[in-house]
Amino acid sequence: MTTPIGDAAWRARERARHLRQWLVQGSLALVIVLVVVGLAQNVVANLEARQIKSGFGFLGDRAGFEIGELLFDYSASDNYLRAFAVGMANTLRVSLFGIVFASVLGVLVGLMRLSHHALVAWVGSAYVEVFRNTPLVIQLLAIYLLVTELLPDSSNALAIEGVALLSKQGLQVIVPAHGLAALAIALVAGTIAAIVATRIVKRWLQIGAGLIGVACALVVAAIAWGLVGAIGGWSRPEVDGFLISGGASLTPEFLALWLGLSLFTSAFIAELVRAGVLAVPIGQSHAALALGLTRRQAMASVLFPQALRLAIPPLASQYMNLIKNSSLAVVIGYPDLVSIGNTSINQNGQALEVIVIIMAVYLSLNLVVAVIMGAVNRRVTRAPR
Amino acid sequence: MLRPSLKPLLATAASIAAISFAPAAHAGKTLDAVKARGQVVCGVNTSGPGFSNADSQGKWTGLDVDFCRAVAAAVLKDPEKVKYVPLNSQQRFASLQAGEIDVLSRNSTWTLTRDASLGVVFTGINYYDGQGFMVPTKLKVDNIKKLNGATMCVQAGTTSEKNVADYFAAQGMKYKSVVFDTAEAISSAFFAGRCQVYTTDMSDLAGARTKAPKPDEYVILPQVISKEPLGASVRRGDDEWFQIVRWTQFAMLEAEEHGLTQANVDAQKTSNKDPGVQRFLGVSEDTGKLLGLDAEWAYRIVKQVGNYGESFERNLGPKTPIGLPRGVNNLWTKGGLMYAPPIR
Repeated sequence: MTTPIGDAAWRARERARHLRQWLVQGSLALVIVLVVVGLAQNVVANLEARQIKSGFGFLGDRAGFEIGELLFDYSASDNYLRAFAVGMANTLRVSLFGIVFASVLGVLVGLMRLSHHALVAWVGSAYVEVFRNTPLVIQLLAIYLLVTELLPDSSNALAIEGVALLSKQGLQVIVPAHGLAALAIALVAGTIAAIVATRIVKRWLQIGAGLIGVACALVVAAIAWGLVGAIGGWSRPEVDGFLISGGASLTPEFLALWLGLSLFTSAFIAELVRAGVLAVPIGQSHAALALGLTRRQAMASVLFPQALRLAIPPLASQYMNLIKNSSLAVVIGYPDLVSIGNTSINQNGQALEVIVIIMAVYLSLNLVVAVIMGAVNRRVTRAPR
Repeated sequence: MLRPSLKPLLATAASIAAISFAPAAHAGKTLDAVKARGQVVCGVNTSGPGFSNADSQGKWTGLDVDFCRAVAAAVLKDPEKVKYVPLNSQQRFASLQAGEIDVLSRNSTWTLTRDASLGVVFTGINYYDGQGFMVPTKLKVDNIKKLNGATMCVQAGTTSEKNVADYFAAQGMKYKSVVFDTAEAISSAFFAGRCQVYTTDMSDLAGARTKAPKPDEYVILPQVISKEPLGASVRRGDDEWFQIVRWTQFAMLEAEEHGLTQANVDAQKTSNKDPGVQRFLGVSEDTGKLLGLDAEWAYRIVKQVGNYGESFERNLGPKTPIGLPRGVNNLWTKGGLMYAPPIR
């Protein structure tokens, strides 16, 4: 038998406090449930009164429309579920590419703004102010207009014979005929190369081993990818009348959206980087320089790692914003999830269901980003101070 | 030209919010609401030359706009008492469902799915259209069959999107679609050369062509791949309002059949002794009573807006920049498909 803690009066107060807390939280939960149920019932009643068909059964129906960009097979005879999957894949693709490019650009521009070179710093500031202070929609439309106006028609495309084609139909490049196999092999080879190279290099170098590892990985991956093409044959882009067949293609819509999202978000990331570095106590910088490190070394191994710690939580929101902003794809005709949703709403009129799907997908994507960035943050803050 | 892209989605979301929070709908009160408000709220196309188009002064004109005016003339005795709500193709039915507009008069195709599942009901057909294709002349294409592999600009959420998929699948041909959410976005992408083909209803193509930098450089192919009966629609569950909107359309046709025009209707009212005309104009009988309107409802439509033929000639006919022939949209007595049940 365990001895109870405290005296009888204290235990009674404690019990009452627990009960009170349960009551308050329980009634709050009840209110939330009631509101949600009430709302749902009202929706159902209203839809019925207005004789609007509802339910998620339509997901199994034939979609009946084509989609311009596909990461996997889809045709008009497939169902709505598959069409939404295509849309989601397109959203994911442009978001991933955008996050990578925006991060690289953002760090670069952020460091430019901190530079002691007046011109470099000025260019960095100008970049940030231009891209941060104009609406993303306008940037997207401007980029898209430039892309479609400037590029030549497909009949006189800019071509490197058999390797690449650039025209209003987008950029088509040569890829190995066994595309998926090539990617998988390149990925595996690259990862192995990165691990091995980093291990070896670490014996001689204190800093920069990671970078060399990444560089090795890229080179090995590219060679592996090329080898698959050389052995298994290539798929070359060819123009046949209107039809451009073969190769992998990047459409003007994708290029414009990717570029637009990256430029816009990178301006914000640049500011995060700059703020992070400036927030590191000035003594750290002085101490690093006093120890005989060069400015570049001080930045790379003293200031930047500490700045990262401060920048990661807000960076996560920037990534989430980028994902959400990718829904502006509709203005320039990129078939992302929202665009597919728009089309579906009109084909079957089930606006409520489609909006719920769209919201659920964006919510899940952002939760995934939150989890990943949370893990990164824990890892970074765990490092010895 | 720049249309905030989130507008359609916001409107849809707003409509959904309206459905979620509104008290359960009651039927049969649209006429009372319109009278109390003193305005017919009419959903029209954001930019459909010939159908509904706002000029630089914000004045709306077009075949669909005339229809809104006719409803206002019949119900409120004044064709100016219309509030126009420009809607794009994705917003239109959601907006009608949510009760934000009284009539949707926005060159929308009547199909089974729309009629049976959206909570809306079509009142009639005011333009018989079909889906066609526009291409730059320099491509030297004269037949749809030569469009294999082409890139097409299509508007999101239109019947065109499905028709073209069906047609190309049936012909065993391929195409790439680029889908935009507004007609303006399609036009600018197409005229910039992003797509080789622009596909939508023939009447829309004719309108879009007038907005090209050089209209002569584009040709509309003669073939048509679908039936697109365009008409107005109202919310389900208000039969009284449905009848008013439907018979407004018939009155415009009946007037043309009787030869009644904006110019001659006053003279005809006193001089024409044809019992059909006398009844139509509310001289001998009160046909309006049955609709919940007054005796002169049809007279006012003709006097204040004009008959169907006048509206067509004014907005779409050969003398306008759109320059569409009357074709199947002529009266049944002149070899067309326009036919109104007798008003009696």
